[in-house]
Amino acid sequence: MEHFLLEKNRLNEFLSALRNYEVFAPVRKVGLTVFELITNPKEAMLDLKNQPQSPKRVIFPQSEILLVFDKNNAAKEPKGRVGQKPQVVFGVRPCDARGFHMLDPVFEREYPDPYYLQKRQSTLLVGFHCSEPYPNCFCTSVGGNPSSPEGLDILLTDLGEQYFLEVITSKGEQVAKEGAAVLSSPTSQQQTEKEKLSGMAPQKIRRTIDTEGIASKIEKHFDHSLWRELSGKCISCGICTYTCPTCHCFDIQDERVRGRANRLRIWDSCMFPEYTLHASGHNPRPTRTERLKNRMYHKFKQNIDLYGVPGCVGCGRCITLCPENVDLVANLKVIKNL
Amino acid sequence: MNHSMPDGSPYVPKWAEISRIEKLTESEKLFELRLSNGQPLGHKPGQFVEVSVLGIGEAPISISSPPINDNSFELAVRKVGNVTNAMHNLGVGGKLGIRGPFGTNFPIDEAKGKDILFVAGGIGLVPLRSFIKFVLENRKDYGEVTVLFGARNPSEQLFLSELEQWRGRKDISYLETVDRADENWKGNVGVITTLFPKVQVDPAKTICVVVGPPVMYRFVIMETKAKGIPDKQIFLSLERRMKCGLGKCGHCQINNIYVCQDGPVLRYSDIFALEEAL
Repeated sequence: MEHFLLEKNRLNEFLSALRNYEVFAPVRKVGLTVFELITNPKEAMLDLKNQPQSPKRVIFPQSEILLVFDKNNAAKEPKGRVGQKPQVVFGVRPCDARGFHMLDPVFEREYPDPYYLQKRQSTLLVGFHCSEPYPNCFCTSVGGNPSSPEGLDILLTDLGEQYFLEVITSKGEQVAKEGAAVLSSPTSQQQTEKEKLSGMAPQKIRRTIDTEGIASKIEKHFDHSLWRELSGKCISCGICTYTCPTCHCFDIQDERVRGRANRLRIWDSCMFPEYTLHASGHNPRPTRTERLKNRMYHKFKQNIDLYGVPGCVGCGRCITLCPENVDLVANLKVIKNL
Repeated sequence: MNHSMPDGSPYVPKWAEISRIEKLTESEKLFELRLSNGQPLGHKPGQFVEVSVLGIGEAPISISSPPINDNSFELAVRKVGNVTNAMHNLGVGGKLGIRGPFGTNFPIDEAKGKDILFVAGGIGLVPLRSFIKFVLENRKDYGEVTVLFGARNPSEQLFLSELEQWRGRKDISYLETVDRADENWKGNVGVITTLFPKVQVDPAKTICVVVGPPVMYRFVIMETKAKGIPDKQIFLSLERRMKCGLGKCGHCQINNIYVCQDGPVLRYSDIFALEEAL
């Protein structure tokens, strides 16, 4: 696919040219950087290191109306879904782009989920080569790479004054066409510089874990007393699941609005005791130990068995944002060494 | 691919109308339902549906009837949460949302020509009844049939008129017990495992189907082992807090299985090593 050069000072012009798309980008909001729909390109905060939330929520929102019931109890589509413009998510890290690859088979499997799949099909991902990874990034240990184009439609690499823009897919080509007026051709020197940066990127990842054999270790030592120690600090707050680009658990709830009912889907967390609580009061996963163990099992055993890859992209958010310093990589190492 | 909505959405319930309500105990009612579109539900014994009361929510409920010619189906429901309490407030003609049927069914074909040992604890009889009634309607297809039913006390026994029929039938053995008797109870007193010494089985040709509270399974399995029934001939129905029924929401996951799709009816030999299952 084609390569272009985008001058940094023309980035806003490039975003403004994407008139046929709704553009989502990281924006600064009450001290946090979150992905939101932007109306002015100046809102975009291209601070890759400071993204406590993944762009998962653009396609799989934290709260989403599935059905609106009318007076006759007929289920209607929520307003604003039909005929919506295609979406561009700008400023995606390569690990988060891979995260969508982990979510896809869940929503595609038997009983395809139209809410996720429609948005997924009409959404393009414009990503940035991660030249300065987080201290807790470990993408290279779970099949990722900070300069990988996997799952992206366009990949940008920061060359200082310019971005090196690689078109990855035909969807990405459409976006490049819309912004063609502000794009130019890279020199061979810039091409070399980009390749050099790509080659250096994986070496900047400081945390690693050899995940080979982890799945069988988790299964073999499912009853081990060490799980209790590993979960000792966990307070079941669920932040690891809410910030995870591959977690997909949800609850279905009803709300009444002016005498009518809406049915919603809302993110849920396997870290909460209520998540598995039966109506009878019985809870098959009653303590933090079972819940933490289950989450690791799901990511590093079940996901491999079901879909062939770990359900983790190594973004490191669950480690960085855990208020109790529960460390997934350290925990995996403990299990690995059993 | 076109994922148009809401017709293509697996979250859209069909509507069903309540045609009969029977009070079973102080806390349980039987609801007879028919889909408003006139179609049969299309279920097999052992499957479940997601039932919704609009504005309140959805809950997974097992189907208590075998497929019936008049397209009706029955749900027996204990009033215990938001949705089930709302159901109990509905009358005949009331509407419920139905999604499903979902999940695996009892081994109606595999058990043909074999003896069947049914073991029901408490409201475990509700899903198991769909299979028991199916077998009684197709009695000649099956060998010896034994039904063991345990309830906490006589007032918690369900389907009293049916139990009375089962007691009188010559073509099945029906044994019952209560954990605690009252002054009128003349039968066996004790947990369900106290019925096992009264039962003779041919282990090689017996299919055992067990449904009850989580604590019951472990002790019943000890009895089936003592009788020599192979693990692969034992079937259980697992309860989980299922939300979507579609293998996506995660709630019913146990290690490598989703109970809403791989279960709720599971072969004991497939899950005996599954942590957290029992």
